[in-house]
Amino acid sequence: MSIHDLRPVRSQDLPPKPHNPVPVWVMATLAALWLILWDLEISFEALAYGVEDMGEYFSRYGQPDFSNLSRYLELMGITLATALWGTVFALLVAFFLAPLAARNFTPNPQAYRIAREILNFMRAMPDLLLALIFVAALGLGPLPGALALGVHTAGFLGKFFAESLERVDKGVCEGVASTGANFPQMIMYAGWPSILREAMGYVLYILDRNVRMASVLGLVGAGGIGLALHDTLRLFDYGQSAALILVILATILIIDYASAWLRGRLG
Amino acid sequence: MTTVSTWRWPTPSGWLPLPLVGGVLVLICALWLTAPMVEVDFVRLIGSLGKMTAFAGQMFVAPDWNYVPQLLAKMLETIEMTILGTAIAIVLSLPMGILAARNATPHIVVYRVTRDALSLMRALPELVWALVFVSAVGLGPLPGVMALAFVTVGFMGKFFAESIEVVDQKAVEGVRAHGAGWLQVRLFAMLPQALPDFVGTVMYILDHNLRAAAILGLVGAGGIGYDLVMSMRLFQYDRLLLIALAIYLVVTLLDRASDRLRSRIIHGRQA
Repeated sequence: MSIHDLRPVRSQDLPPKPHNPVPVWVMATLAALWLILWDLEISFEALAYGVEDMGEYFSRYGQPDFSNLSRYLELMGITLATALWGTVFALLVAFFLAPLAARNFTPNPQAYRIAREILNFMRAMPDLLLALIFVAALGLGPLPGALALGVHTAGFLGKFFAESLERVDKGVCEGVASTGANFPQMIMYAGWPSILREAMGYVLYILDRNVRMASVLGLVGAGGIGLALHDTLRLFDYGQSAALILVILATILIIDYASAWLRGRLG
Repeated sequence: MTTVSTWRWPTPSGWLPLPLVGGVLVLICALWLTAPMVEVDFVRLIGSLGKMTAFAGQMFVAPDWNYVPQLLAKMLETIEMTILGTAIAIVLSLPMGILAARNATPHIVVYRVTRDALSLMRALPELVWALVFVSAVGLGPLPGVMALAFVTVGFMGKFFAESIEVVDQKAVEGVRAHGAGWLQVRLFAMLPQALPDFVGTVMYILDHNLRAAAILGLVGAGGIGYDLVMSMRLFQYDRLLLIALAIYLVVTLLDRASDRLRSRIIHGRQA
């Protein structure tokens, strides 16, 4: 009598045993993370030793030196202006590209594909990389920064707008189309008015994001407050660095609250 | 008071919608006032078009194939930093998200404090924190991962909290009726409902972190960024082309994958 004969007769009729893949996934993830840790040569010992040093290091930022505050505010102003120009540039590009990249508005499938690809490409290029390129081409200053922000976020804004446009109520589109509207008229009377509120939310979000990014673009020579921060950090001038970080922090928090308030009023 | 109708056009009165026109006018004024600050100079811009095309032309050189092994290693490091930073952030954001959700927080004061802490953490971009962490723990991927995790907790904690806040209260009551404790209610009633949202958030953050990780090397925090800057500074366009291409490829692939996964989660399995 072999072992197989001991099997219950109706075992084939039973429903399959429920299997729970979660433990496998968790183990696989942990293994992958461990491999990554090992490959990056990150040791927790070094981190543990580092924690003490870090406490001491951060204490050096204890006394912010606001003696150059007016200069910092001016730099912050430039940074904000850079973000604004970048956002407006992105808005303009997205305004023209998004209708082409929306499946229900696009005049022909070829334009749809090309617009999508352009938006994808703009989105895929990191803005600091673009800033590096524009700085090399245009020279130092905030303008290449604004252009870089504009190109990169035009990709995002265009995609967001296109997705909103694709959600526009079919009845609205048909209503306008039945009056014999052509492509620009469809966009102006069926497209944008329907998504205005949503679009404003996206623009605010992008502006918010651009202010954050504009404050670091200075690192690659694109002007603004990031350049000053980079310089003071390089010179180990912790007082001034702390003051600059605080100025950036305060501005971003103010913008955060302002855009939350505006969005609350819009929505 | 702006009503819905004044935000639309054509308006009932036939006039242009005033808030919209006003907004555009304010925007134009702001642009005009800030133009000197940004040093917008269209003459210079057009004049530099030639320079730009020349620069773009320089990019099209025979790629430096000898560089490929190093490029792959650096790209792998970038991706690993992204994954590690995101994973650490997920672990830290879950409790933060619970504390920062109005319906799951133990006390309203904890809620406020956590919210403010999260908004402070996400206020500054990764690059600033990377700059600080590099000064603190030295060069290499470690400060990069720390910076990514730190900023990402700020974003992810907020998104998690928002998805916990919209869970169905009935399931919570049902679990509570079984005599579940504080932690059990959160673990078995709230988290399972918020899970699809979490996955979407994680994909979005992963995407964001990959872009960020690609440039962290700029300040010496590991990844491809360092090579990127160096090849730019040294005018090694044969390498620059490959690096830009590699970043574009990886970002696009992840973008597509996350788009697909997100629409599958939102629209169900068949989509």
